[in-house]
Amino acid sequence: MATFFNFILAHSGDAADPELLHWIKDRLDQLFGPSPWVLVIVIGAIIFAIPIFVIVFYLMQSGRRAATELPDKPGLNRD
Amino acid sequence: MNTPQKTKKPIYFGWYVCAVTMFIGFVVIGVRNSFGVFVDPMSAEFGWNRTTVTIAASLGALVHGISQPFMGQVFDRTGGRNMILITLAILGTGTILISQTSNVIFLVFMYGIVVGITQSGPALSNTAALMSRWFRRKRGISISINSAALSLGGLIMVPFAMYLLQATDNWRLAWVVIGTVVLCTLPMAFLFLHERPEDRGLLPDGDPDPAEVDSTPRRSLIPGPLTVQTWREAFTSAPIWQLSGSYFVCGMTTTVLAVHFIPFAMDDRGVSGTTAATIFGYMMGLNIIGVVATGLLSDKIGGTKNLLALVYLIRGLAYILLVSIDSVIGMWVFATVAGFSWIATVPLTSSLTAEVYGTKAMGTISGISFMFHSFGGALSIFLAARLFDITGTYTVPFALVGAMLFPAAISAFSIKEHKYSARYQAPAAPAAAGD
Repeated sequence: MATFFNFILAHSGDAADPELLHWIKDRLDQLFGPSPWVLVIVIGAIIFAIPIFVIVFYLMQSGRRAATELPDKPGLNRD
Repeated sequence: MNTPQKTKKPIYFGWYVCAVTMFIGFVVIGVRNSFGVFVDPMSAEFGWNRTTVTIAASLGALVHGISQPFMGQVFDRTGGRNMILITLAILGTGTILISQTSNVIFLVFMYGIVVGITQSGPALSNTAALMSRWFRRKRGISISINSAALSLGGLIMVPFAMYLLQATDNWRLAWVVIGTVVLCTLPMAFLFLHERPEDRGLLPDGDPDPAEVDSTPRRSLIPGPLTVQTWREAFTSAPIWQLSGSYFVCGMTTTVLAVHFIPFAMDDRGVSGTTAATIFGYMMGLNIIGVVATGLLSDKIGGTKNLLALVYLIRGLAYILLVSIDSVIGMWVFATVAGFSWIATVPLTSSLTAEVYGTKAMGTISGISFMFHSFGGALSIFLAARLFDITGTYTVPFALVGAMLFPAAISAFSIKEHKYSARYQAPAAPAAAGD
């Protein structure tokens, strides 16, 4: 039973291989120093940069969207 | 002089949908892969052995694989937006609630069942179907971006969980933070996750209304002869079996490496753990380049089944290199060749499925294909472990699964893409005047 569950788990663990994680941790420790909080902040900033970038970009494009809106054509090509 | 002022076209809304599904996939895969980081502190607090905690995680993986076709069916029937929003909300809440674990049954239920099922809502099989509605000409690259996010999510979210745990020294707080990150995807999903371009008055790829441009129906809008309304219809034709059969082999050959590559490098090739992990990390990095490149090529030059066959063939050759060159250089060469093909099959298989069968039942069809992939993966790990026990080396299992890549390449190559794909359907000749 345990073997069965172990091999299913291993199947889902692509990037979570312990050796690979240690390797990633060593590289990151070399880059940012050993303080875990620095890494939490840096990686957290990378994670949240994605939605922030998308929203900022969407807002920056609002001028273009408004300019291409055709009052006689409701619906189509508003974006 | 009334020169009309030229205004640059805004970015097509489908790219925002693509970015949001990418971010969701990135975070969700992170939750799944981060579980391993929590095994030791949770086991230590409750005095559980490793297997006890492992049951929750592996049950989650199993439930996730099996629930994908069912979630695909919900996606196809409801359109997907509400289903993804609801599953994300439950997934985030469930992840936070893992912090309240006081016994193993609670953990098995919360992670194995609740998290396992809800992860299937925003799974790649569904987001690929969503991308197929928003894109026709750029379907390959949009699905590629979503596929690459899964690799990146594993490589970024897992170290995040690891450092969070180290910094707080409190696994309960770390689960709360990770669950909150999942919930943070909700506002973005609510704003940008629309089901179809028509919902925003657009056409796929942001193309102009054909009625405005010319009266001839465009090739990309003509359905193929196998376009289906239900998933059952798809499984009465050959292409889906050819695709799923190849995908089964894909699951075998990627999963066996993900699990056994580092032990193989250390035990069979005598490489240090650090070097083995470096080679594996290099291969994971290359797969992002490979998946984006194949998506672009598929969109630009077509012949998706040829590209798919080529990817399987290249991976097969990489396996030959792996088992035949007994040196570290051989492993680097293997990593270079195999890295490019690692997840390149995902956008090719998904976009070809959409082109042959249409998008009506794509969530379910993709969910079933992904299940074939998962079964192949599970079988390969089991076989590799057994064969290693018998032969004492990974060479035999690697050679066996690698050999299966050649029939997989033939299976993909023999798909009659020009006959069945909507991409190659010629528009009907315009009716003669007076007809």
